Amino acid sequence: MTIVVLLSAGRHPVSGAPVLPRMEAQAIRIAASLGEAVGLHAGPDAEAVREALGLGLTRIEHIALPEGLDPVPALSARLAALAPDLVLAGRRSQGGAESGVVPYALAEALDLLLIPDVVAVSGGADTLTLDQSLGRGALRRVSVRGPVLATVHPDAAAPHAYAFGKARRGAVELVGAAATGVDVPQAIVEERPYRRRPKLVKGAPTGGSAAERLKAATGEGGSAAKGRLLVEPDPEEAAREILAHLRQIGVLAGPTKSNS
Amino acid sequence: MTSLMPLTTVFPGLVWLMAALALVQGLRRAALWRVGAAAPVAWLDGLVKLPKRYLVDVHHVVARDPYASRMHAVVAGGLLAASILTALAILPPIAGFRPYWFVVALAFGVTAVGSLLVGARRYPAKQKRLSAGRFQILPFLLVAYAVGGTATALLLAFGIGGVFAPLALALAAAGGLGLAFEVRHGPMRHAAAGALHLVAHPRPGRFEGRPDTALQPLDLDAPRLGSEMPADFTWNRLLSYDACVSCGRCEIACPAFAAGQPLNPKRLIQDLVAGLSPAEPAYAGNPYPGGRPAQGERGALAGLIGPDARIHPDTLWSCTTCRACVEECPMMIEHVDAVVSLRRHQTLERGALPEKAVGPVTELRQSGDPGGRPLSARTDFAAGVDLPVMADRQQAEVLLWLGEGAYDLRYGRSLRALIRLLREAGVDFAVLGAEERDTGDLARRLGDEATFQALARENIATLQNYRFERIVTADPHALHALRNEYPAMGGRYTVIHHTAFLLELIRAGKLNPVRLPDLSVTYHDPCYLARYNGETEAPRAVLDAIGVSRSEMARSGKRAMCCGGGGGAPVSDIPGERRIPDIRMAQAAETGAGIVAVACPSCTAMLEGVTGRTSEIRDIAELLLQAVEAGR
Ligand code: SF4
Ligand code: SF4
Repeated sequence: MTIVVLLSAGRHPVSGAPVLPRMEAQAIRIAASLGEAVGLHAGPDAEAVREALGLGLTRIEHIALPEGLDPVPALSARLAALAPDLVLAGRRSQGGAESGVVPYALAEALDLLLIPDVVAVSGGADTLTLDQSLGRGALRRVSVRGPVLATVHPDAAAPHAYAFGKARRGAVELVGAAATGVDVPQAIVEERPYRRRPKLVKGAPTGGSAAERLKAATGEGGSAAKGRLLVEPDPEEAAREILAHLRQIGVLAGPTKSNS
Repeated sequence: MTSLMPLTTVFPGLVWLMAALALVQGLRRAALWRVGAAAPVAWLDGLVKLPKRYLVDVHHVVARDPYASRMHAVVAGGLLAASILTALAILPPIAGFRPYWFVVALAFGVTAVGSLLVGARRYPAKQKRLSAGRFQILPFLLVAYAVGGTATALLLAFGIGGVFAPLALALAAAGGLGLAFEVRHGPMRHAAAGALHLVAHPRPGRFEGRPDTALQPLDLDAPRLGSEMPADFTWNRLLSYDACVSCGRCEIACPAFAAGQPLNPKRLIQDLVAGLSPAEPAYAGNPYPGGRPAQGERGALAGLIGPDARIHPDTLWSCTTCRACVEECPMMIEHVDAVVSLRRHQTLERGALPEKAVGPVTELRQSGDPGGRPLSARTDFAAGVDLPVMADRQQAEVLLWLGEGAYDLRYGRSLRALIRLLREAGVDFAVLGAEERDTGDLARRLGDEATFQALARENIATLQNYRFERIVTADPHALHALRNEYPAMGGRYTVIHHTAFLLELIRAGKLNPVRLPDLSVTYHDPCYLARYNGETEAPRAVLDAIGVSRSEMARSGKRAMCCGGGGGAPVSDIPGERRIPDIRMAQAAETGAGIVAVACPSCTAMLEGVTGRTSEIRDIAELLLQAVEAGR
C-alpha cells in the first residue's frame, strides 16, 4: 500500500515558530500505523518539514518551488506519478504556509475521492475503513475501495513524540522541481496572534488557601449564599422554587401562559 | 616440631591462594566491563585519593546507620588486617616469631566479632531492606574464616600441633576460599568493585566537597544517543553498578518506591548488573512495587528497556530525579545518571516518552514553554505591579528569573511577595519578560537533550545582550540548570536562590522583619536546592530571622523526602498506590506545625494539591513579607 502524507510549513499557533502543523503530525501517526509512508512537501525550503522525520516518517519528497507559487499543480503531478492508495492531509491552516483548500484542489485535479475530518484509518490496499468525525464525539465509519484522500480531524490520536535520533536518520529527497504554476494572491492584511491580556479582578482575595479563594470566586458566601433554605418543603413548593431559580439564572424561559 | 613447620607455610599460603582466587574471580567479572564505552579517568589522582575518599566520604554516608558503620569497621578492618598479617608470614623470619601469631589471632578474633554482627542483621530474621540470596551465606563464610583463622593462629602461637591444626586450617580454608570465590557474583564483589569505583568514579567532584550534580551534556552527533543496552554505558559506570552491595538504603529513601510506583532503585541497579551477564545469580531483594518478574534477554547487547525487557519503561519514568538514592548510597553509585541515560535513548532514539509527557515536551520544543503559553504571558501574574523589563533597561544589578511557576496562579502570589520584598529593600532588578524561555529542565530530565540544548543556547544568547551581576530565582530547578548545567553550554552566571538573597538583604539591614513567634513552621527542603546544591541553611536562617517557632521533619536537609514534583514525574504520571505529596504532607503533619514553608514552585504546587491538608503552604518569601509588613 502506498501512503502519502502532505506536509506544510506551518507555524506554532502561539509562539509563531516554524513547526509541522499538529494535524499533519496526527496524520503521520495514522499513516505509520498502516505501513510505510512518504511525506510530500512543495515549497521553497524543506527545513520546515524536517520535523516530520522525527514523528514517524523515514522519507520526505521535496518539490522545490519559489516562494509564493501555488503548490497544487506540482503536488498533483507528483501524486499522479506516485499513484498512492491513501493521501492524508491536515484539515485547515493553523497560521503558516498551509491551506485547508489544497486537499480539495488536489482531489479535484486528480479526480480522487475526498473524505474529510478523519480520526482513524484501518484496513489494507483494497478496502480502507475510515472513522470520520461528525463533531462532538460522534463518528461515522466509512469503507472505501480504491484510492482516497482524507483530511485529518484534531480529534485523531495525538501525535507521536518527536525523536531527535530518527529525524537525524531520515532522508529528504529533492524530486523534480516543477517550475510552472500560478502565483497565489497575496493577502494584504497584517496578522498577529490573538493574546488575552491579564485582568485584575477588583476585590479578589489574595490570601488564604486555594479552597477559600475558589469559594470567594464562585460566590459561596456571595450571591449563592443568599438563597433560601427550605426544610422539608412539600413537593409542590420545592418544584416551584427550583423552577423559579432556573428561570432566574436563565436556564429556563419564563412561564408560558397556556392555561389562560 | 616437624608437623608445625608446614603449617606456618600452609596457613599464609592459604591467604595467598585466596588472593589469587579473588583476583581470578575479579578479572572474570572485570572482563565484562570492557564492553562499556571509554571514559576519561584520572587514575593516578584517584589512586592517591582513594584512602581519603573511603575513610571520609564513604564513611560519612555509612555512619548514618551507626550499627552498620560499626559492623563494617570491625569486620572489614579485621578481615583486611588478619589476612595481610597472615600473608606476610610467608617470610620465614616472621613465621617463626611466635608472639606475631598472637597479633594475628587477635585480628582474626576481631573479624569473628564482626562476623557475628553481620550475622545478627540477617538471623533469625533479615532486615527488610537487605537482600537475601548469596548474602545470607556471607555470615557463615566470615565466621568460618575468622574462627578457623583464630584457632590456627593460636595453635601457632602456642606451638601446639596435632589433630587440631588440620581441622582449624580446614575451617579457615572453607571460609576464606568461599569469600574469595564470592568476588565474581557474590557479596564480596562490592569490596573489589567498590574500591576501584572510588578510584575511577565518574563524578570525582563529589569528593572535593562541591555538589557535582549537573547532568553531563550529551554529544548530539554521537552515532547512538543514550543507553539502550549495557554496552552503551561507559565502563566505569558498569563497574559502579557492580559495586552495589544490595544494602537497600536507596530503596527506603526512594519516594517512588514509598508511593508504590514500579520503581526500586536497588532493583534497578541490580537489573543493570544482571543485564550485563546471564550468569548473574537471581535477585533476592524487594521487587519493583507491583511485583513484575525479571524477564527478557541478558547480555552486553541486549536491550534493557521495554515492556518485555528487564526494566519496564514505567520504572524509568517513575523517577523524580530527587537524588535521595544517590545521597544514601554508601557505594557512591549515581542512580540518576543511569536513569537519565536510559531515558535519553527512549526519548531521542525511539520517541518513546510516556503518553502524557508528549504534549509538554512538544510544546517546550516548539514554543519554549511546557504549557504552550505565550512567553509574554509569563509576567501576567504581576498585573498591577511595576515590573522592570531588561529590554527597556539593558542592565540591572539583579536579573530576576521567573521560571515556569510564574504561569501558576498560586505561585504568582509567592512571586508577588518576592517582588514586593525586592522593592522594599530597594534592589535594582529586572526580568527578561517575554524573552525568558524555559530553562529546559523538564526536557533534560525526561531525556530530551536536544530540546534542552536548543533552549539553553537561546537563553544564553538572550542573556548575552544584558548586563547584570547576578541572577536571582525562586525556582531551584531553574537555579540548578542556570548555575550548574549552563556552564557546559557556554553560559556562566552567578545564580542565587531567593532565600539566600533575602537572607543577605536581612543581614544588610535592608529588610527589617518583626518576629512572628505565633507561627509554627516546618520547612520542606526542595531536592534541587538541598541535594543538588547543598543549600539547606539560608531558608532556615530566614525563618529564624522572623522568629517563627520552627520544627524539623524526620527527614530534612539533604536527606529530605521529595514532594514528587521533579524529573517530569508529574507530567509522566505513572500510577502508584499512593501519591508522593500525600506521604510528604503526612510527614509534615507529624511535626504539628501549622505552616509548611516551601521554597520552590514545584513543591508549592505538589503540596498545595494534597487534599484534606490541615496545614498551610507558604513560600519563605510570603512569610518574610508578612513579617516585614507587620513591622510597618
Ligand atoms: S532519584 Fe529519587 S525517585 Fe529516582 S530512584 Fe532515586 S530516590 Fe527514587
Ligand atoms: S545502590 Fe547503593 S544504596 Fe542501593 S542497594 Fe546498592 S549499594 Fe545500597
